[in-house]
Amino acid sequence: MTRWLALAAGVAALVALPAGLKGYGVYLLSLWCVYVIAGMGLNLTVGYAGQISLGQAGFLGIGAYSAAILLQAGVPFLAVLPASALLCFVVGLLLGFPALRVQHHYLAFATLGFNMLVFLVARNEQWLTGGTFGLNNIPRPMILGWRFANRVDFYHLLLAAMLAMAALMAWLLRSPWGRAFAALRDNPIRAESVGIDTTFYTLMAFAIGAAYAGVAGVFFACLVGFIDPAPFGVSISLSMLLMVIAGGAGRFFGPALGAVVVVLLPEWLRFAQDWYLAIFGFAIVAMMVWLPGGLLSLPDRVRGRA
Amino acid sequence: MTTRRTALTLGAALVTAALSYPAMAADTVKIIDNVELSGTGVTSGSMWQKGVDLAVKEINAAGGILGRQIAITHQDNQSQAQIAKAVATRAADEDPYVMLGPIFSGDVNVAMSVAAESEIPMIMGGEAVNLTTQGNQYVFRTSFSQANAMPKVAAYLAKAGIKSVAIVWVANDFGKGGRDTIISELGKRGIKVAADISTEPGQMDFTAAVVNAAKSNADALFAYTNEEESARLLIALRKLGYTKPIYGETVLTSQRVIELAGGAANGAKGHVGLSVDAPNPLVQEFGRKFKAAYGMNSDHNGIKGYTAVYIVKAITERIGKFDRKAFAKALHGATLLAKDYPGVLMDVTYDDKGDLNRESYLVEVKDGKQVITEVLPPLGKQ
Repeated sequence: MTRWLALAAGVAALVALPAGLKGYGVYLLSLWCVYVIAGMGLNLTVGYAGQISLGQAGFLGIGAYSAAILLQAGVPFLAVLPASALLCFVVGLLLGFPALRVQHHYLAFATLGFNMLVFLVARNEQWLTGGTFGLNNIPRPMILGWRFANRVDFYHLLLAAMLAMAALMAWLLRSPWGRAFAALRDNPIRAESVGIDTTFYTLMAFAIGAAYAGVAGVFFACLVGFIDPAPFGVSISLSMLLMVIAGGAGRFFGPALGAVVVVLLPEWLRFAQDWYLAIFGFAIVAMMVWLPGGLLSLPDRVRGRA
Repeated sequence: MTTRRTALTLGAALVTAALSYPAMAADTVKIIDNVELSGTGVTSGSMWQKGVDLAVKEINAAGGILGRQIAITHQDNQSQAQIAKAVATRAADEDPYVMLGPIFSGDVNVAMSVAAESEIPMIMGGEAVNLTTQGNQYVFRTSFSQANAMPKVAAYLAKAGIKSVAIVWVANDFGKGGRDTIISELGKRGIKVAADISTEPGQMDFTAAVVNAAKSNADALFAYTNEEESARLLIALRKLGYTKPIYGETVLTSQRVIELAGGAANGAKGHVGLSVDAPNPLVQEFGRKFKAAYGMNSDHNGIKGYTAVYIVKAITERIGKFDRKAFAKALHGATLLAKDYPGVLMDVTYDDKGDLNRESYLVEVKDGKQVITEVLPPLGKQ
């Protein structure tokens, strides 16, 4: 009961927050939601299925570019959203099928290569992606005649999407599939011996994770209104992995907290001026040294010491 | 369960903390600089920042603008468009008189839509053509657009009797925009592109680019990359014994590149929109002040930042009040003469789109110094 109350209070706070914020705060909250959605997907791959993916920004890019191109062609938002997610899911399957023959750090490099490929296509296929000039004037979503042009309206739409994706994830993790994911992370040989098709489930975790990034990409494009290849590079994939690890890989609320660290912490540290990114770097190093299990392992850590 | 509660509380606390920022003093005029102080744009951004700071210091010491002191804030946009948008949105929230920067075109693109939405003039350092062709009434340049600069370069090459060129460019919006414009200008003058060589932002090794350029047997090489890459390219060209003339536009022969490349920069030629070595006493005086303040020579970005602040002062004094809409209106079509407004350094004219026009130079690097070989009049006065 308490946990439902806490959850409801958290959601209510997120809904009400923009009232006390100006444009900057609302923009950052929106950016946070985008990365939480992408982070949840990556958490499925990394935290639950136990694989290392360094290609999540590539999927974010595929989602963002497909959304930008389709929206500019006049396709309605409600069609664009599932289309982009589906595209990422299919690309995830196509990539995962050969790539998941290798695991762990080998897989990390395979996905890293994929991310570079996405980046290069975005940069060099100017006829489609606008190349280095990017795509400008991406419209905000229009749903049933209502355009979410106002930044608070858009944030609420994004928040609703994030909560829906979170609910879907919670359901998935409680289903037999979720158990299978955890089983193959904890002991793949035993999982296989009790009849779990490890290849199939790993592939599914990877592709579903990719679809989440696709959804995040759609909102990213609509939020910023302009996309070029830079936000979909390999370094952003590393940031996303950091998000999952810093929050607590394999913990449901990990990405939400991790995205606070990666998206909001540098902005909050701006008071330190020239030093803000250096302080951010040191903070991450310190966190990884003392809390390798992520921020959400803090209570266990405290209890363990007491 | 405890984990979830902790997550929610911690999350809420961090979000609240992240979103609160200090308020500013009142009887000043607030200017916010959205600039590349980390990431790939740091070389350009830090020069721009120094130029801005120098101008602010001078203006404040001389009594400010219409009696009000300038309160300048620099905010790093990490050379990333989504962060530049966050910085611009935050700036707009703080209700500044004018916004300065960014320099990279992608960053300018997102920031200028925020500027237009909140009707705040934005004086930026981007050079890509498309920035001023979108009908934005609040965006102004501090340097030539590539559409203004490249015809001068192409004419220079044609005059030197060059029939074919190998182009080495950097694959970002700046490099690609310059490459597209120069190719079209070269075509108009019957100069062939013998090799079209793309390089990466941040690339370290230019051996392959040099070898391909040499293999193409072009009469000359035209390099259009950012500062650090230009220096590396020049070093590679010399090391591998490239003997054909090397041309550039503004960056290649800039002070920063000469410092980084050392002796390898000697012999490089090009067109320069802004240079501290310009045969102009005001510009040279600026160069000395900059060197005295920071112990290094300013490049074109330092001049861009410096003049940006003085343009704010000149136009504000002309309209006699702090009115953002009137400012944007007055700057469109304005001509600022250096004899009336010494801080703008050179006579400058703005058109109705925010593009500017002024004289420029043909230069050559000799003995580690940029030497002006010819002064070109502003476009339309040739």
